[in-house]
Amino acid sequence: MSEKKLHDDQKYIDGLVQNNAFIIEAIYDKFAPKVINYIKQNSGDSDQAQDIIQDTLITIYNQASEKKLELTCPFDAYFFLLCKRKWLNELKKTSNKEVTIKEDILYKGEDAHELAFETDLYGEKHALFTEMFNKLGTACKELLAATFKIKSMEEVAESLGVTYAYARKKKSLCIGKLTELVRESPKFNLLNK
Amino acid sequence: MDEQDYTLFEDYLLKALSETEKEAFETRLSTDPAFKQRFNTYKELSAFLEHTFENEAASTDFKNNLKAISSKHFKKQQATKKGIQFKPWQYAMAASIALLIGITLFNKLSHPVYADYANYDSISLTVRGNEDGLLKTAENAFNKKDFAKAEVAFKELLLTDEKNSELQFYRGVTNIELNNFAMADWLLKGLKDGHSVYKTKATYYLALSKLKQKQYDAAVEILKTIPDEAEEHKLAQKLIKKLD
Repeated sequence: MSEKKLHDDQKYIDGLVQNNAFIIEAIYDKFAPKVINYIKQNSGDSDQAQDIIQDTLITIYNQASEKKLELTCPFDAYFFLLCKRKWLNELKKTSNKEVTIKEDILYKGEDAHELAFETDLYGEKHALFTEMFNKLGTACKELLAATFKIKSMEEVAESLGVTYAYARKKKSLCIGKLTELVRESPKFNLLNK
Repeated sequence: MDEQDYTLFEDYLLKALSETEKEAFETRLSTDPAFKQRFNTYKELSAFLEHTFENEAASTDFKNNLKAISSKHFKKQQATKKGIQFKPWQYAMAASIALLIGITLFNKLSHPVYADYANYDSISLTVRGNEDGLLKTAENAFNKKDFAKAEVAFKELLLTDEKNSELQFYRGVTNIELNNFAMADWLLKGLKDGHSVYKTKATYYLALSKLKQKQYDAAVEILKTIPDEAEEHKLAQKLIKKLD
């Protein structure tokens, strides 16, 4: 992987991370029409296309801002594959019948598929982690939010009115609880196959 | 799972273990697969939480910006697609919107409004003798107050001349006129925080954008940052007085 050359389209990824409105607009102007057409040809409408594109860009943003995301293929191919995957998942969720897909755009190249797969996996995990975090008790949620926002455990302890040792232990137990919730969910095993 | 293991995970990640404890921990990682898997999940979750909370504000900004650009894009798409046919309930809606506009106009009487304070002159972007097509289009459209057309031209121009503060500034004003506040604020804030000659002008117009959005407190806060010696200072003070 590290041997591969970064594609010029990395500018779109960087632009998203920097919340650059020009770049976001350019992505919509250049790459959205193809996705919209695809979704419309496959049982969807313009509103659904809008949601799929927006969700996909948020997933890319999250991945690129948390981890490094290095584009080694054209953005076009990567983005289209991601939107397509998301749309197929959406179709599967809403209809039980077999979906027929008009396949007229195919991308060659392992890179795009591999990168899209990784981003997709990241997005699924992110959603699972968020879902499980929300299942934690209020005390844990508050403590974890404080811990990661304030940074200094001493200050966290002070703001919550507990001792430093207690706050630190509690933090590990809360992440421990979250670890269990995540590992027990059926979805986690699917993602870690 | 033993509670102590989680405390151990945390201490290991915080590098708070002694040398011998660390060795014992790493030995267990390599010999106990279940322990290792749990630790990996713990580590991943810890990184996820750290990023989520640290990046919360930036992430919210991004989502808002994205939403604004997305709805602008899709609106444009639909507008070019077909003529609109009104159904009876839509007349009812139109009537209530008209009523709403009436109320808004009435409300405006009690607050200073954007149009009273936006006093930009005609612009001249082209250098004499050099009639660059797109620049001319932008200039003409802006001066004729055809802001939709000006926006298209500015957008195109900025693609090749991204850092041009003059273009950024007038595109910002254009977007206030078009009520595309996300784009307007983003452009003007960039100039406000920068060091170009448009710094104070952009600050003033950013405040006017907030005024147009009825965010009066935000407008006042921004106006207060305009320095005494600036050209816009007097106008800014006048507006602050009205808003207070």
